[in-house]
Amino acid sequence: MAEVNLKHVVKIYPHSGKKKKSEHRTGNLKVTDQGVVAVEDFNLDIKDREFIVLVGPSGCGKSTTLRMVAGLEEISEGEILIDGKVVNDVAPKDRDIAMVFQSYALYPHMTVRDNIAFPLKLKKVPKDEIDRKVNEAAEILGITEYLDRKPKALSGGQRQRVAIGRAIVREPKVLLMDEPLSNLDAKLRNQMRAEIIKLRQRIDTTFMYVTHDQTEAMTLGDRIVIMKDGVVQQIGTPQEVFDDPANLFVAGFIGVPQMNFFDAKLVKEENGYIVSLGGVTIPVDEAKSKKLAENGVESKDITLGVRPEHIALMGEGKEMLHGTVEVGEMMGSSVHLHVTSLGQDVIIIAQTIDFKGTHMESFHTGQEIAYTFGGNVMHIFDKETGNSLTR
Amino acid sequence: MNTKNTLTAERRRKNILSVVLAAICIIYVLPVLTVVINSFKQNTYVKIETFALPTAESSAGFQNFITGMTFGNYPFWKSVAYSALITIVSTVLILLCTSMAAWYIARVNSKFCKIVYYLCVFSMVVPFQMVMYTLSKTADTLKLNTPWTIPIVYLGFGAGLAIFMFVGFVKSIPLEIEEAASIDGCGPIRTFFSVVFPMLRPTMISVGILEIMWVWNDYLLPYLVLDINEYRTIPIHIQYLKGSYGTVDLGATMALILLSIIPVIIFYLSCQKYIIKGVAAGAVKG
Repeated sequence: MAEVNLKHVVKIYPHSGKKKKSEHRTGNLKVTDQGVVAVEDFNLDIKDREFIVLVGPSGCGKSTTLRMVAGLEEISEGEILIDGKVVNDVAPKDRDIAMVFQSYALYPHMTVRDNIAFPLKLKKVPKDEIDRKVNEAAEILGITEYLDRKPKALSGGQRQRVAIGRAIVREPKVLLMDEPLSNLDAKLRNQMRAEIIKLRQRIDTTFMYVTHDQTEAMTLGDRIVIMKDGVVQQIGTPQEVFDDPANLFVAGFIGVPQMNFFDAKLVKEENGYIVSLGGVTIPVDEAKSKKLAENGVESKDITLGVRPEHIALMGEGKEMLHGTVEVGEMMGSSVHLHVTSLGQDVIIIAQTIDFKGTHMESFHTGQEIAYTFGGNVMHIFDKETGNSLTR
Repeated sequence: MNTKNTLTAERRRKNILSVVLAAICIIYVLPVLTVVINSFKQNTYVKIETFALPTAESSAGFQNFITGMTFGNYPFWKSVAYSALITIVSTVLILLCTSMAAWYIARVNSKFCKIVYYLCVFSMVVPFQMVMYTLSKTADTLKLNTPWTIPIVYLGFGAGLAIFMFVGFVKSIPLEIEEAASIDGCGPIRTFFSVVFPMLRPTMISVGILEIMWVWNDYLLPYLVLDINEYRTIPIHIQYLKGSYGTVDLGATMALILLSIIPVIIFYLSCQKYIIKGVAAGAVKG
């Protein structure tokens, strides 16, 4: 267990061919004359025993960041500290970390027992202590009966447990996990996710976990770091990033189904703000109005975000938005309605059963519906920058 | 009806193919078979009934083997010992050095490594005859002309094929395994010997077999480089089975050829399955 600090960490992959002189962005990543910037000015203080999840789409730099902490990638600029010591030039083996890889990275010629014992043997731990620790780790992970098998005789889930066993047996200061559940099928992934939560309660260490799956990030992390194109978009607890996304990217990335976005107009009035959307005006709640006022926001065009679960279906009314049901995805306890409204696709989650057990209205393609949402569930983003105006 | 005709045609085609392949097999096996048959025949009969099986009249029993092994003033056991020494040392040296070199070439992405790799591949297409005179002179100058030092020459010649095969295999090993080893506490040397080296086993065996067969059977290189009055390998020893007027005891020659190929055949058969594995390794992602 230890604190981990990343201070202004930058990773630049040098150009392989001709030098590109001008600074620009190729694809989504920034390119300077030094090379392609994979991670840009990354700052993060991870507390002792904290579970940090780095999440983002492919190529956002999350694995690169983890590999820099592991010592598998050189740091172009900045500092990484583990337990207060700068480890920029420390070899991976001397950082007192352990890592679980997406591809398990087990040693195929060794048995499960030897795989788990390998880091301890290298540390010259006495044999009886190795046996005790290996058996203990195997018991925690439920792989005792496979200890004398080779990795090729194990299933994906069992292999991943062995990889975790090899990592925890060393009692590392920091446990790094690079998309450890990505190679597993959906059912096993859910099961292993629960196992990781349990494991976290049993071992005292700091976790850094990389995933592209926002559900994993939300369920596992104490705090989440959301990244895009090498840049940190937001750092916060799962609830914080869900309730108060910093920008359009975070708002769209966190939450399933994705948040709905509308082109709307924010109007400043004497006693607060209102949002005008499709001829309907919705007053912004007091807390958000206060933030808007603090930020000096004037009347302007905005991007309005509303989560599908925060939209209420109601009968006809003057202040209602209208749409036509295109598709209804039955999820059991709810239906995800894809509604064409205001010239775009709007997703609405409608419950199929209420708290009294009464079955709710069913929906069919082509059905006209009316919906609305409250001022407190609106997310207001600047139309040009995409940043939240209420933070 | 049509299906029946197709099946009959298919069967006929297969039968013809079997006969053709069997004939090709016989052509391949015939020289070895000739050696086996003639090693048990008297010298006179070897010349006049080359392809006939030994009869009561023509059979020499094991006399050819005894003659071959006791012929001349150079003991046969010495040739066997030198051949074994050169083969074992050369093969071990080739396997060890080239597997390490291949690991470096496969993992370090630099121009230098690429140049070394292509040089190694290029060396495979250079015929030995093209360099043999300059090589034997160089070997003499550098004192590589003894059974203890000639393995270095073999290392040079064997490196091309071995590196080519090892690089292909190393590239198929996921890099994460080596990264896991480095996090677990291995330095580069430990990573190689504890993690990479054991994983190279299939390629190691196939490269080993190819090198053993080559070095054990090689005639020209030891003949040119070694002092043949002092050091003779089995192929050289066989070449010296001549009488005082240049007469060659063909029966004894065949017997010694048979003796010399037996170890290689046994070794090859016992490791045959690994050769295919090793050659195919790295071709597809496992």
